[in-house]
Amino acid sequence: MKLTRAIKNNWSGLLVLGLALIAWELLAQRDRSFFFPPISTIFSTFYEVWFSPRFLEHAIPSLGRMFAGYLLAAALGIVLGMLTGSIESLYKTLEPFLEFMRALPHALLIPVGILFLGIGDTMKVVLIVSSVVWPILLNSTEGARNVSQERLDTAANFGLGRLEVIRRVVFPSALPMIFAGLRIGLAFAFIMVVVSEMIGSTNGIGYYILNAQRTFAVPQMFAGILLLALLGFGFNSLFLWFESKVLFWHHGETGQLEG
Amino acid sequence: MGKAGREFNVRGWAFVVVITGVVELVARFGDSPAYLPPPTTILGALFSGLVSGEIAGQAGITLLSYTGSVIVATFLGVFVGILMGAFSTFYNAIKVIVEFLRPVPTVSFLPLAILLFGLGYAMRAAVTIYAAFWPLLISTFYGVRSADPIMIETARNFGLSRRQVLRRVVLPSAVPSIATGFRISAIIALSLTITAELVAGNSGLGHFIAEMERAARYPEMYAGILLAGVIGYYLNLSFRAIEKQLLFWSPSYRSQVVEEEV
Repeated sequence: MKLTRAIKNNWSGLLVLGLALIAWELLAQRDRSFFFPPISTIFSTFYEVWFSPRFLEHAIPSLGRMFAGYLLAAALGIVLGMLTGSIESLYKTLEPFLEFMRALPHALLIPVGILFLGIGDTMKVVLIVSSVVWPILLNSTEGARNVSQERLDTAANFGLGRLEVIRRVVFPSALPMIFAGLRIGLAFAFIMVVVSEMIGSTNGIGYYILNAQRTFAVPQMFAGILLLALLGFGFNSLFLWFESKVLFWHHGETGQLEG
Repeated sequence: MGKAGREFNVRGWAFVVVITGVVELVARFGDSPAYLPPPTTILGALFSGLVSGEIAGQAGITLLSYTGSVIVATFLGVFVGILMGAFSTFYNAIKVIVEFLRPVPTVSFLPLAILLFGLGYAMRAAVTIYAAFWPLLISTFYGVRSADPIMIETARNFGLSRRQVLRRVVLPSAVPSIATGFRISAIIALSLTITAELVAGNSGLGHFIAEMERAARYPEMYAGILLAGVIGYYLNLSFRAIEKQLLFWSPSYRSQVVEEEV
């Protein structure tokens, strides 16, 4: 069993986690701190809040926006990245603009998005796309630019056209870099949906948490944070699993050290 | 950041100028809404905001709190990273917590930070330090772990103690990895400081931009965004330059340059 092995390998880590949670529980019960309710209260609030229609009201919209934006940005970023990576003059033309967009803290796009698009779903999806697309685009570009000349020449010798070369040679060779971009993009999408819901929204997990904080509903706030934590952890694990399936042929240090 | 080097990119900047020109024409002569001011008006607002200190002061506040947070996060991340890399008992003990917390976006904790610290510097510093801590921790850990075992054995054979091996062999060979972690952390930190200011801060560039939006002073709002982008751009550039200067000797640096872009 995979699970038992995972427990065996991590027993000391799980022990420390358990002890930390018990210490939290005991300290919180003793001090009756307003800011840190007992962990048992947080868990039961979590159950009450998220195993109820509120999940449909707040969590589903967040997830829908996030995945709509992420998938759009991924398609856009990969296609454009293949083009900018294969056509040097296009890359040169767009470079300053791309570098600026990468360096800009993306949350600052939110006020602009609200002005142009209001506070609905369109605004959030557009903002997610305009935050997520840059790391995917830039990594895809980098991947496409680093394809070895031998491969390109071989493909050309076999008489492949330009688009065929991109599809059959450049794209597969760039996949490890594309995945590095997709991974960063996934984190960006999650951040962007939460922040945009905190700033301009009437539903969503980000809205729920900030609203709980403003009304001093501390256990509810923690329940929201816990949901985000579980989702963040889950997305990351799912992504790693998917990456290992797709890139099983790629020997090397994928997934070793990342931002 | 390609292989093309750093010569001036005429074509790229010409493109920027053309696009700006088109937006200028549309904003001036087209039927455009008030929230799309002409770029020249934005540049004017940026200039007068820098001269009068209205924007410059807020940017200063942001940079000050940013710098402090990055310094604290660097010490924390490197310290805990070394402990994790050097002592496997410690690593095993905190591995589960680290693996669970690392993928969680820091903005999730923003409401908690507001609750605990209010809207001032402490709140912004707390989320910034937290966000910047993780890349440094992980890259320090990998740097320490990936020290060449032959070098360590050699040093042991020369009679160096565990402590000396750590200081003279393991840490120097971890420096490239730590430097990369630092650059990534420093970029994330800027984003977090400004995001925290934007969502709930009571000063700083992010707060300024939110205020200007509410006051419908759109040229000033765009000027703030432009300035934040320029600051991010130049910080990114200078961290890369510093990294290159410091690590020209390192063979592992060259292989790291290509991968991972944040």
